[in-house]
Amino acid sequence: MDIKTAEEFMEKLVKAGQEYGFEECEASFASESSMSIDILNGEVSSYENSATSTLSFRGLKNGQMGYCSTNILDDSSIDFLLKSTMENCEVLNDEDPQFIYCDENNKDLYFSQVSEAFSKNTYKSFSELGLKIEKAILALDSRIDAVDYLTIACSTGPYLIINSKGLHSYRDSDGISIVASARATDDDGSVKSGGHYWIGKDIDTFDLDKFLAKFKENLIGKMGAKSCKSGNYKVVLKSEAFQQFFMVFFGNFFATTMQKGLSLLADREGETIASDVFTLKEEPMYDDALTKIPFDDEGVLTTSKAIIDKGVFATALYDLKSAYKAGKTSTGNGFRGGAAVSEMPTNLIVVPGEKSFDELLEEAGEGIILTDLSGLHAGVNAISGDFSLLCEGYLIENGKKGRPVEQITVAGNFYEVIKQLISVGNDIINLPSGEGEFFTPSVLVSSLAISGEE
Amino acid sequence: MFNDSDCLRILEEAMSTTADFAEVFQEVSETKSVSLLNGQVIRAATGFDSGTGIRLLAGTNSVYVYSSDNDIEVLLKLAREAAAAIKGNDKGSIEALKELCSTTRSTVEIDPMSVPKSDMVELLRKSSDFALSYSPLITQAASSIAAKTRTARVINTRGVNTEDTTKRIRLSVEAIATKENEKQSGRVAPGTMRGYEFINEYPLIDKTRECCDTAIRMVNAGYAPSAKMPVILGNGFGGVIFHEACGHALEATSVGIKNSYFTDKLGEQIASSVVSARDNALIDGEWGSYATDDEGNTSSDLLLIENGILKNYLVDELGARRMNCAPTGCSRRQNYSYCPTSRMSNTYICNGESDPKDIIANTEYGLYCTQMGGGSVDTSTGDFNFAVNEAFIVRNGKIEEPVRGATLIGKGQEILKNIDMVGNDLKLSAGMCGSMSGNVPVTVGQPTLRVSSILVGGRDS
Repeated sequence: MDIKTAEEFMEKLVKAGQEYGFEECEASFASESSMSIDILNGEVSSYENSATSTLSFRGLKNGQMGYCSTNILDDSSIDFLLKSTMENCEVLNDEDPQFIYCDENNKDLYFSQVSEAFSKNTYKSFSELGLKIEKAILALDSRIDAVDYLTIACSTGPYLIINSKGLHSYRDSDGISIVASARATDDDGSVKSGGHYWIGKDIDTFDLDKFLAKFKENLIGKMGAKSCKSGNYKVVLKSEAFQQFFMVFFGNFFATTMQKGLSLLADREGETIASDVFTLKEEPMYDDALTKIPFDDEGVLTTSKAIIDKGVFATALYDLKSAYKAGKTSTGNGFRGGAAVSEMPTNLIVVPGEKSFDELLEEAGEGIILTDLSGLHAGVNAISGDFSLLCEGYLIENGKKGRPVEQITVAGNFYEVIKQLISVGNDIINLPSGEGEFFTPSVLVSSLAISGEE
Repeated sequence: MFNDSDCLRILEEAMSTTADFAEVFQEVSETKSVSLLNGQVIRAATGFDSGTGIRLLAGTNSVYVYSSDNDIEVLLKLAREAAAAIKGNDKGSIEALKELCSTTRSTVEIDPMSVPKSDMVELLRKSSDFALSYSPLITQAASSIAAKTRTARVINTRGVNTEDTTKRIRLSVEAIATKENEKQSGRVAPGTMRGYEFINEYPLIDKTRECCDTAIRMVNAGYAPSAKMPVILGNGFGGVIFHEACGHALEATSVGIKNSYFTDKLGEQIASSVVSARDNALIDGEWGSYATDDEGNTSSDLLLIENGILKNYLVDELGARRMNCAPTGCSRRQNYSYCPTSRMSNTYICNGESDPKDIIANTEYGLYCTQMGGGSVDTSTGDFNFAVNEAFIVRNGKIEEPVRGATLIGKGQEILKNIDMVGNDLKLSAGMCGSMSGNVPVTVGQPTLRVSSILVGGRDS
């Protein structure tokens, strides 16, 4: 479905929506073209190519916002969308008002960031690179049995929003990802798996040597891992692990979560909630980010801001509905996760400290580096902040990285961890997260409970 | 969607180069849902989606293209691109299309799609009202009903011509208890392939009370201990441990590329002799059932483990090619945007001979897990982890104080061998399983059973 056809359909739909009796209404169109290849045993084992799109409609009637979506853009769909949305409005009794929005000064935004390099993403370029990566991984160490998973994927797509208040805004994005994992067997028959990833916008900027060095560290470095003694340890959460960990609890920073009584951060803006070494910013248009987001899915301009400023909880994230309820203005964080709009972050940045990763280890002296956390979707209580997670990593001995550890759990509480941050490193990595990316270095935590051998 | 001749045109285009097999998968789905929070209807949504996936195989080389644009010319173009990308040796053939075979495992008396959302709201409100007046500790009550009708058509170059319809509905009730800074929840989420009559018959208030009781118990509970100890897993959703720690490692997705600790183990003892397990997609009206899989194969009741001996793997078409065996009718996908692969349906450990009461009575010290959360597993190493939502300490054969915040960790291949008692109270429980081909409805299940030793990661050492 091309964007022009979608645009014509949406204009017709919004007009029909007003005639149908909606006080205000809005249509949005998201489309994605993607391509990916998998490499297995020296061959391109799988190739995928796709084009999908979804048209979402929402309408206000008596202050209630109903939703409906379809992938079919024809006249029969207009009837379906309007009728279903109206039926949904009729059963809703949400006490909090909702809004269809248009900022008169920013109602016709256009932001395209698809790079010219996207045209380099072809079956040929991906498969050649993939085969080269597989071969190079297998050559890293004789104990590597196979590269079980190696995918190179790219996607691009536009987002268009049109509403009855005159909003007509467009943005798009593109990106490439490489994900690989391999399995290695040690002399004693024990098996380890590990891997690495890369994200970018230009396939030519992929640095194979750098990728392989990290890959080797993540797989071969873990060989011979065993458990360690239970106890409280100083912990360096490696940047990837800290990103995963932090994002599991990030919903607590959404105003809607607070207003539902499901976040312990409710009514605590302005209070100190974390160590003063910790500053977290949201930068929707961050220079180094692959995806820049000038406006949210409600048409509100996004803004740069500190969420935690030197330990102080500076602001929650708001969409139009939660902002109104709190007597604030939207922070431009209303995104369509699934059908309805709710808060999501754009690009998040943990402001780096002075120390390198090795200097964090020196500062710790004795402790544990955690590189991988498992079961983050299950082993946490997102509300209370309690967590108990299977993890892997290395001991820290005499301020240096020691032997690898596995089959241990780390347990604690999110709100305590962010207060116990002693140091923030400067080894920044970026991972896809929310609507954008999360940029973070490794961090040093003063004490966490580790369960291992008796 | 398309008629047979359009599908044949797509197959011909797909087979124009060196594929030995091609398949057209067409899907239409409708969804409706309502959600309540504290008595307010905060969400009501309706959705329609449709699309087509075209898969080509040449040996174990696979090409998958898909689109939500159902225009025949768009799909012919995609099929042409797919044909250009497939890496085979010879041009394959197309067999004559068989008669359409239409199937369903749904047993629907009242179609959820015909039930007004206002009726659903009225029902859910009873649960909310009950929960919020049950105890001052209950501060939030959330509930929802979501229904989906999905029709999947499969046509392939072997003449397969099937259409399977599934109608599923799922109810979710959650109560949250608050005490100072602590919040804990109790939740039930039954799912079915029966119709709305299932919802009407469901003991909603009793189950809401159970959710409230769990939440209140857990908010008052101390932390679970950290140690290796015997663990008793309650029946029903306790089966998630088998699903994660064993089921995934029996899927051709990992066995086919030898990335599973159960590779080449058919006929071997992989579990304690008290363990037998099945993957049964044939149970009428069960949440994880289906009549025809997403490759057009008839679904099956597969014996996975018999008295500890590995009997079968879960195998899809591509896995069958890698493993040199026949597919078992277990190929599934979330929707047309996923290439299908081997997946579980209703997977459970079969009834054993122990009385659940004796399992408790015979345990000197251990953890009794009555409500499990989710979990995950690395099938190459066997490392797994599970969250426990509700658990009790067992001391001297008696269930004692509740504890919260426990995680079970270990290696799948070891845990199966450490199951030493299996009860006779098998129960199934609905869930969603996420894997390479997306999220699919599954049930997990088991009788009450005991594992002689698991590492419990808690906060009290």
